Amino acid sequence: MPPFNLFQRISKAPTNPTAPPKPRQFDVADLYQGPLNVAHGEDATAAPLDEKLRQAYFWIVNNAIISPHYDIEYNRGPAQSYAVGDSKRALNLPSAQSYSSFVLLPLLTFATRRKCLFVGGPGRGKTASAILMGVLSGASVKQVKRAMQHGHPQMTVADLLGNPLPADLVNAQNMDDIRIAWRAWLGMRVKIIDEYNRIPPRTQSALLTLMGDNYAEVLNHIYECPDAAWYLTANDDQGGGTYEVIEALRDRIDVIVQALAFNPRFLGELLMRIEENLKPEELVPAEIIFTPEEVDRMVEQIRAVVVVPPPLRRRLEFFTSQFELLETAGGQFEYMTKDTARLSGFDWDQVVAADSGRDRLKDLGCQTRNGISVRNLMTLLMYAKALAYFRGNGEIELDDMRQVLPFVLHDKLQPDLDAPFFGLPENAAYRTDRISWLRRLFDLSNADYDRLDLDQHDPVGELAAQFEAGLDDLSERDVLARLNKIERHVSEQIKGRKLYGHLYDDLLKLKYLHQRYTNYLVWVRSQS
Amino acid sequence: MISALFASLLASGRPGFNRRVAEARRRYPGFDTAAFGSFLSTAADAVVSAVAAHAPDRAGPAALAVFDLALELTAHKHTGTLARQVWTDVAPHYASLLAQQPAVTLGMLTNAVLHMQKVRGVRVAEWLDWMAQLAPQTGTLQQLSVCGQICAWRAGMVHFRQGAIAAAEQLPEALALAAFGAIEGEWPVVRDALLRDPWWTPEAAVRKRAAAGIEVGSFTGFGGGFSEPPEVRPAQQGFWVRSGERHALLMADACGAVLHPASADEYAHPQPAVNATVIIEAGCVVLNGRRTPLDLPAEGLKVVCSTYAVALTSPYSHAIRVLPLR
Repeated sequence: MPPFNLFQRISKAPTNPTAPPKPRQFDVADLYQGPLNVAHGEDATAAPLDEKLRQAYFWIVNNAIISPHYDIEYNRGPAQSYAVGDSKRALNLPSAQSYSSFVLLPLLTFATRRKCLFVGGPGRGKTASAILMGVLSGASVKQVKRAMQHGHPQMTVADLLGNPLPADLVNAQNMDDIRIAWRAWLGMRVKIIDEYNRIPPRTQSALLTLMGDNYAEVLNHIYECPDAAWYLTANDDQGGGTYEVIEALRDRIDVIVQALAFNPRFLGELLMRIEENLKPEELVPAEIIFTPEEVDRMVEQIRAVVVVPPPLRRRLEFFTSQFELLETAGGQFEYMTKDTARLSGFDWDQVVAADSGRDRLKDLGCQTRNGISVRNLMTLLMYAKALAYFRGNGEIELDDMRQVLPFVLHDKLQPDLDAPFFGLPENAAYRTDRISWLRRLFDLSNADYDRLDLDQHDPVGELAAQFEAGLDDLSERDVLARLNKIERHVSEQIKGRKLYGHLYDDLLKLKYLHQRYTNYLVWVRSQS
Repeated sequence: MISALFASLLASGRPGFNRRVAEARRRYPGFDTAAFGSFLSTAADAVVSAVAAHAPDRAGPAALAVFDLALELTAHKHTGTLARQVWTDVAPHYASLLAQQPAVTLGMLTNAVLHMQKVRGVRVAEWLDWMAQLAPQTGTLQQLSVCGQICAWRAGMVHFRQGAIAAAEQLPEALALAAFGAIEGEWPVVRDALLRDPWWTPEAAVRKRAAAGIEVGSFTGFGGGFSEPPEVRPAQQGFWVRSGERHALLMADACGAVLHPASADEYAHPQPAVNATVIIEAGCVVLNGRRTPLDLPAEGLKVVCSTYAVALTSPYSHAIRVLPLR
C-alpha cells in the first residue's frame, strides 16, 4: 500500500499572490485544479523556477520545520504593532507575506549556490535543515548523510579530500603516477560540513581552498568540484568549538542564520512525528526537487533578471561609505581607513581615543571596528537579488536589501561595543542581538540619506553621471569647465564641515573624476 | 449501507486504512469522521461498485484510490451534495476510465465541479447531466478532460470559451459536436461559427435565451457582487466594472456571464469604445435596429459597447444587463 500523501502535498495555489499582474489569460486546464491531485504524466506542467522555489519554502515551513519564526517582515499598508514587556520591545504582526530566516536564507543559498552557516545550540535543527537542502538538490537522504562531513579535532586533510592509493605510493616513479581516491562528497551539489568549528586549523586551510576556489589538491593532483551550495553548522558562531576558525574561512561564509528556540506550543506536531515515525527529509515531494540544470538556470535568472534600481544602489553606497573612514589612522587622505589601523596592529582603543571632534553618537561609522569589503557587497547584492526573485519581483526593493543585509554582514561588520551608541540604555539589546543592530544601522543610514535629500540632490552623482556619458568630442574648454566645477564642489563640501564616511567617499570620487579629466586634458592638448 | 464488496476490500486493508484516517485526523484537527464514513458508504461505494461491475480485478486499486480521495475531500470539507452527485451520478458512467485510472478520473470530475461551484452563475447541474450523457462516447482521459472543458463553457464558464474551442480539435468529430450540444452539422462549420460570434451556439434555445440579454451582479446585501450600482468600461475581453472600491472584469457570451476580480489600474485603462447605434426608448433599447425590452428607467441609463457586447447600467440598479452586439 503506497503511503498516504497528505504530508507530501505542496501548495497548488500561487505562493506569491502579490506578484505583478500578468496579461489576462484564462487556461481551460484550470478547470481541473482543486483539492484532489490529478497530475498525471504529460499533463503535469512544470512551475516556473521562482514558483518552485516558493513551493519548496512553503513545504518546508508548513511540513518540515515545526515552529518557524517569521522574522523577515514585510508590510503592505499599516501593520499592527505592540510594545511588549518592560523593555517595550515591538511585536509586529506584518501585513504582507513574511518569512522565516532559518528556512529562507538557506533556500536562497541553495538558489544562488553560496555558503550558509547555521548557528545555534545543539538539537535545534541546524543539521536537519542542511540535510533538507541536500535532498532538494536531488540526492537521496542516504547520499546526503553519507556525504556530510563531521568536523572533529582529529580530522585530517586526507579525511576531508581523499587519499593517495597505497599501491601507487609504493610503486610510483613520479607524482603523476599516484592516483588519488577522492572523497565522494566533493562531487555533491550541496556540501554539508557539520560542526566546522571543530576542524583543526591545517584541515581548515584545505577547506578554505575548497570553499574559496572550488577545487581540491592532494599531491599536485587537482579535483575540480562542481558548483555547489555549502551549508556549515556550528554550535556557536564565535569559534567556540575545539578550534578557532581561521578568519579567511569565516570570511568565505556568505550568510549566517541562527536557529531560534523551539516553541513548545508546537509540541503536538512533534508528538505526531514520533508516533507516525515521520521524517520530513524522507518525504520531500518530487515537485520541489531541483535538477542541477534547473539550479544553473535559477542562478542565471537571479543574476540577470533581477535589477538593482539606481536609487537603491545609491542608498547602499551611502550605507557602505559610513564605515571605512578612520580619520586618525592615516596621514594621507586615501589611508584614513580602519583597515590601515588594523594592519598596523596598533591598539584599537588608542586609535579611537585620538579620533575626536565628530559626534561619535551620530556618526554611524563609530559603531564598527571595520568597513564592508567588496566580497561582502557582492554577496549582499546577490542575496538581495535572490530575495526579490523569490518574492516574484524583477527589481530589488529597499525592504529586500534591508532584510538580507543583517544575515550577510552578521559576522563581517564587527561592532565596537565601546562606542557611545551601545552605551545608551535603549540600545543595550544591540550589544547581543547583531541582526537587529545591523538592521537598525541600515535604518539609521537611510534616515540620514533622506535627511540629506540625496535622492533629489546629489551633485557628486550628477558629476559622475556626466562623466559616465563619455568624453568623446569634449573640448579643452569643456574639460576645464568640468575640472573647475569639481574643484568648486570640493571647496563647498569641506567648508566648515566635519569629515564623515559618506563625505570622505564623495571626496575620493571627486578626486577620481578630477584625475580622469586631468588625464583627458593632457591628451586633448597633445592632439592640438 | 456499504456494499459487501467494498466492505470486504476495506476489511482486507484495515490496518493501512485506519492508519491513513488516524494521520488525517492528526493533520486536520477538524476532520469529520462521521462525514467521512457517510461519504464512503454512499459516494465511494457507488464508484467502487461501478468499477467492480466493469472490471472486477480493478476493484481493489479503485477502492484504495477512492479511499484516499475521500480522505482528502473530507479533510477539505468538500463531501457535500455536489461531490456526492459527481461520485454517484456521473462517475459510475465512466467505469472503464475509473478502472484504469481511478484517482485521476475521479479527481478531474470532482475538481471540476468544485471549481465551477465557486463561480457565481455557473449551472453545475447542467454540467453534470451533459457529462453523464457524453460518457458512452468518451474513451480516454484526454477526451474526458476536453469534454469537461467544453461543457464547463456551456455551463457558464465564459472565460473558457476560447480554450474549449481549441481543445475540441483533439476530439473525434462526433464527440466534439455532441460536447457542444450540436445535433447535426460538421465540426469545422460549427467551430468557425463559434469563433466568429461569441453569442452563437449550436443550440437554438440557448441562442434565443442569449438574445434577450443576461443580467449579472446584484446588491451585496442580497448576496450579489456589487455594493454600489456598478459602472462599466469596455475591455478587450468584455467590460471593466467598478462598484465602490472593487473592480472586476465582466465576460459574457451566449452561455452566460462571469465576473473576475480586477484592479483599479486595469479599470483605469479601458479599451476604446465600439460604435453602435443605440436608441433608448420607453421600455426598450434598440441596438443596431434590434429592439430589446428593458425594465429600467431611461434616466441615468448608461450604454457601453465593447467588441461583441453591450452593457447597460443604471443608477437605480446594482445589476448589469449585457446584450449581444450584432
